[in-house]
Amino acid sequence: MDTLAALGHGFLVALTPYNLLFSAIGVTVGTAVGVLPGIGPALTVALLLPVTYGLEPTSAFIMFAGIYYGAMYGGSTTSILLNAPGESGSIVTAIDGHAMARQGRGAQALATAAIGSFIAGTIGTAALTFVAPLMVKLALLFGPAEYFALMVLALTTVTAVLGNSLARGLASLFIGLALGLVGIDLQTGQARLAFGVPELLDGIDTVVVAVGLFAVGETLYVASRHRFETEEIYALKGSKWMSREDWSRSWKPWLRGTFLGFPIGALPAGGSEIPTFLSYLIEKRLAKKPEEFGKGAIEAVAGPEAANNASAAGVLAPLLSLGLPTSATAAIMLAAFQQYGLQPGPTLFDSNPELVWGMIASLYVGNVLLLVLNLPLVGFWVKLLLIPRPWLYAGILVFSSLGAYTLNNNVVDLVILWVIGLLGFGMRVLNVPVAPCVVGLILGPLAEQQFRRALAISQGDATVFITHPISAALLGIAVLLVVGPMLLRRRQRNAEAAGTPHSSSHSTV
Amino acid sequence: MTTGRSLRIGEAVLGGGLVALGGLIAFETFITPTVGRSVVGPALFPYLIAGGLTLVGLAILREAFAGAIAHAEGLEMDGMAVFLVAAGLVVEFLVLEFLGWIPAATLLFMAVSRAFGSRRLWVDALFGLALAGLTFVVFNYGLGLNLPAGSILDLFAPAE
Repeated sequence: MDTLAALGHGFLVALTPYNLLFSAIGVTVGTAVGVLPGIGPALTVALLLPVTYGLEPTSAFIMFAGIYYGAMYGGSTTSILLNAPGESGSIVTAIDGHAMARQGRGAQALATAAIGSFIAGTIGTAALTFVAPLMVKLALLFGPAEYFALMVLALTTVTAVLGNSLARGLASLFIGLALGLVGIDLQTGQARLAFGVPELLDGIDTVVVAVGLFAVGETLYVASRHRFETEEIYALKGSKWMSREDWSRSWKPWLRGTFLGFPIGALPAGGSEIPTFLSYLIEKRLAKKPEEFGKGAIEAVAGPEAANNASAAGVLAPLLSLGLPTSATAAIMLAAFQQYGLQPGPTLFDSNPELVWGMIASLYVGNVLLLVLNLPLVGFWVKLLLIPRPWLYAGILVFSSLGAYTLNNNVVDLVILWVIGLLGFGMRVLNVPVAPCVVGLILGPLAEQQFRRALAISQGDATVFITHPISAALLGIAVLLVVGPMLLRRRQRNAEAAGTPHSSSHSTV
Repeated sequence: MTTGRSLRIGEAVLGGGLVALGGLIAFETFITPTVGRSVVGPALFPYLIAGGLTLVGLAILREAFAGAIAHAEGLEMDGMAVFLVAAGLVVEFLVLEFLGWIPAATLLFMAVSRAFGSRRLWVDALFGLALAGLTFVVFNYGLGLNLPAGSILDLFAPAE
């Protein structure tokens, strides 16, 4: 019962009035910023980083945990009322959620999303409590070769799963990897690709890149399209409560979504797209009235939203126990850890148990706070959607530049932010997903380090990656994930020789 | 109006840019003398990534000329708005350390508001000023960060 003792200890840390205050601030600002259109969880976390700089690590990460969960809750409000999913995990929620809002059932959609998020978040956090220590034990069996293979797998899934063009995903990934090269090589101290600019020796900050792609790139894109698009916001009206029928149609999807979301999120191949889509498909198959799907079925909000939140908890398991980010949001959290000189992984559980367990315990606390914030106060958050667009995006850019500048008190970071922002705009126009870039930037250097360590141990024998069974298996899965869909697609193309080219314009962030 | 054709050009620019970036990384790595002794030096990964960039760039170039592109039906875009937002950021990083955070952030706020169609320049300026001032106070005095006050202040009050 080590785990329960550790968790108990975590609660003692998380429930001190001081840390409780930061948890409360975290969930509140996380929800508030997450609700704003155009701001997904990844950007919320990145934009709110500067707020935590003055804190000591434990309180900072307790606040972070709150921001992370708060952003997830806030994001569902935006996708339901505005049909503007802030990240790929809430694309599915937006379909039926927005349809419900159009029928005047927005309040019920928000309620089933909030309660489902609470249930999924709580079960997911409980699962995280027990899975993370197991993963730590597993991680102790891992050598550099296995770590390298694991990172390759994570990079592959982030790239191959997102978007509909492998070439575009890979383009984004390699841009991220290339950005990750800049700076001093960790093993030899040699400067790479710094082009004589001293500020580049420390490397390009993940936070600057994330803010540049998600905030600046997105703002440029929205600015370019602003005149040509109209948005509809639906006010909440009628009964705010879920009817008996709503409850009976919601509770099973909540649970099924949770059990899909957590394991898939916790896999190194994680992410929230797959579980939310799977949940939608399963609920549609099981529903009594599948014809309602797409036209405002409450199951199609309850299930995916639960899956989304459970996978958010799941993503934390490999992040904390292996130091492996599997989503853009997790990549920014990892950058935040590095900012404090901490490297998540098995050793973090030994060296900073207060921080790790305090953070996990605060996730339980945060979930309860969020339920309170989101059910009775939802009307208040909805008002945030009404901020005039010019001021909203102007404010986003002011905070983006604030975050980039205060990282190192350095104007060069603002120049990088600008360049990355323009790049992000180009990527957005050409439908190139940006998440692989962010994950590649932070995982690339780590993967390189493990690769070189593995070869140093094997004295240059490159077969270590294949002779170690775990490493070989992980690499095999990675190859299958890339080659499999390609083969399937080719087969499909051959089958329907005269098919129309597949095009889709939804954004995958 | 941005047509499918110019998007195709954009796509080709992306592909070409990736190939060029790959070449640049390979070249820069090639001319950097290697220091240190280890089984795998600091040059291997740059070469691998340069190779990857080149291959992906070529694949995208092929797609641009032959295959499916994003928004094949064209995409309406407001170039002026993009320019205003981008220019706002340039002005900010040029004047930030000289004029200080408050004027720089206010100018950025005004530029972006204008890009999003706001016509009330003075209201935007006031609102931006309030936001910039508030963040300056909260982050510098409340959270202990260092947003610049501006070196222009030194001209009026030289440090003794």
